[in-house]
Amino acid sequence: MTDAAARDTDAVDAGDDRVVLRVENLRKEFGGLVAADDASFDVERGTITALIGPNGAGKSTVFNLVSGFYEPDAGRVEVDGVDVTGLEPYEVADHGLVRTFQTPRKLEGMTVREAMLVGPQDQPGESFLTLFTAPGDVATAEKRNLADAERLLAEFEIDHLATQPATDISGGQTKLVELARAMLAEPEILLLDEPAAGVNPTLRAELAAQIRRLNEAGTTCLLIEHDMEFVMELADPVVVLDQGSVLTQGSPEAIRGDDRVIEAYLGGGA
Amino acid sequence: MVDVAGVVDDMTTAERGVTVVVVVAVVVLLLGLFSGRLAPTYFLFLVGLAGMYALLSLGLNSQWGFGGLINFSVAAFFGIGAYGAALVTASNSPVSDGFSPVYGLAVALGLATVLALFIGLPTLRLRADYLAIASLGLAEVVRRIILNERHLTNGSLGVRGVPGFFDDWPVLSTFPEAMPGLRIDVPLGATVELGAPFYRMLLNVLLVAVFAAGSYLLLSRVHRSPWGRVLRTIRSDEDLARALGKNTFRFKLQAFVLGSLVMALAGVFYAHLQQFVGPGTLDPLTTFYVWVAVILGGSGSNRGALFGGIVIVAVREGPRFALGWLVGILESVSGALGSDGFVGRLQEFVVSLARTLEAMDAAAVRLVLVGLLIVALMRLRPEGILPPQRELIWSSAVDEAPEQPDTGVREARGDGDD
Repeated sequence: MTDAAARDTDAVDAGDDRVVLRVENLRKEFGGLVAADDASFDVERGTITALIGPNGAGKSTVFNLVSGFYEPDAGRVEVDGVDVTGLEPYEVADHGLVRTFQTPRKLEGMTVREAMLVGPQDQPGESFLTLFTAPGDVATAEKRNLADAERLLAEFEIDHLATQPATDISGGQTKLVELARAMLAEPEILLLDEPAAGVNPTLRAELAAQIRRLNEAGTTCLLIEHDMEFVMELADPVVVLDQGSVLTQGSPEAIRGDDRVIEAYLGGGA
Repeated sequence: MVDVAGVVDDMTTAERGVTVVVVVAVVVLLLGLFSGRLAPTYFLFLVGLAGMYALLSLGLNSQWGFGGLINFSVAAFFGIGAYGAALVTASNSPVSDGFSPVYGLAVALGLATVLALFIGLPTLRLRADYLAIASLGLAEVVRRIILNERHLTNGSLGVRGVPGFFDDWPVLSTFPEAMPGLRIDVPLGATVELGAPFYRMLLNVLLVAVFAAGSYLLLSRVHRSPWGRVLRTIRSDEDLARALGKNTFRFKLQAFVLGSLVMALAGVFYAHLQQFVGPGTLDPLTTFYVWVAVILGGSGSNRGALFGGIVIVAVREGPRFALGWLVGILESVSGALGSDGFVGRLQEFVVSLARTLEAMDAAAVRLVLVGLLIVALMRLRPEGILPPQRELIWSSAVDEAPEQPDTGVREARGDGDD
């Protein structure tokens, strides 16, 4: 998170320390349907990288492969130079890759700040035995985490929701809470699955501003998004997926003018 | 002095309702005691059963209520606790020779842990449905094994001669005999005798009270801990918990074993209460009643589980008395009615109603009651009677946390300090 300065998107042959997430030749088949086919791309430190492509291009599959929810048939995923291929999602998160979901389910029976407290990693109170052997440590950590959670809620300007039931807030607010909670996990790279989907235009602008703010504070982001305006305004570079593999990548301007991309979206295919 | 008015003011409507129900139940039971209709020893037996069901509900609540784990083999964990205790301590046990009940307790908890791991390890990595299906089968498998492995369990004969739990304890073992037999003339006319059986039952109630209170305190503590919070997250959205770096399998397995242990405690108590266990102890109906208790009380609420367990005992044991009372009331009503014209027809109806009630089977009435209870609950209060409190944060942290973060902290953010 400290390397906020490294924002050079032209450096294709950059050294490994510039690459937070490396995806190499990922392949995933579902009963004969090839959802990811030799997909390779890098996400460089400090960027907001967007993963776009027509429906069925394999964006969500790639997300699930990278975050450990699917196991790839072939290929390799590296986070910060560490091979995380085939690890469980919680192990991938341990290596600094945290993802959000397109349609986050609301946590029943919890207040917003309680739901936030699921975010921090390695809480002593999450070990059953520690609850009894070192209750003081649990209380100290809980106090610190609660303060962090309330500070983040304030940064995201949703601190007025802190004691509201998590089930009572709007979809857009839920996405903001999810984003804030993911930040409590202090990720090296944040994977955002359609952050703008189902969010009203006002909140969408707010979300974009928050994502940019996080990025400027040093968080690398990889996002899937259908809202092209949102992508073009926020992301650089953009990786285009089509039929499970990377069609092209580059700056938003370059992508916008690329005939192959237009063709892929309009359904030329072959 | 407790400020009664203040306490009542702080309660929610549901809590007041529950308080009223509890007070009414206690008054009815006391009336029963003082009028001699309810023998004191039987009264204590009912209290013991209530504690037992409370334990079973607390156990299931820590699986289903905390983590959304669907366990249809409550009876199996109850039964394995009972058999574990009985086989180690009983005089006619085929596998041991009357060891101390403390060892029985240890063996029962050990067996329950093994059984919980046996079913939990393969299924908890999978989707929630698999535990449900596997546990449905497990209950029957365990019952069949106990029925058929006669060299281990005496099969259908059961294990008899289980001692009282405190029979080899220093003071408590002689307590029932040492206490003087009392004859008390209670206000409403009857004479009540308190002898050794009464004090023996009192010890049983003490045992279940210790089990239930210990379990309740432990479960309340872990429920509001970060550990419990992860489980509650898993219940709503397991993938979210995984994405946030939680090893959900570990949490689910721990909650499952924990709940199974509490259920086994209920079994241990039951073995020492009845001094006999048989394959009937694993009646699948127990599973059903305990599920009703947890849903009735409010899934995820420890208080609710306690209350639900007590209600279930009322439903199970109540019809036995209520039918007799109702028939008695109807008969006196029909006696008071004349036999002419409309009143006569009414009297005929009341008499036939009384005859119908008399012929009714208490077991059938129980099931009808449970059915009505579930329908009423789903219509009126689907979240249960005492749903969990809104916010559960490790208490000592909340007390000192700032209400609103001050603005100075906002500026300090963004440097990245690790």
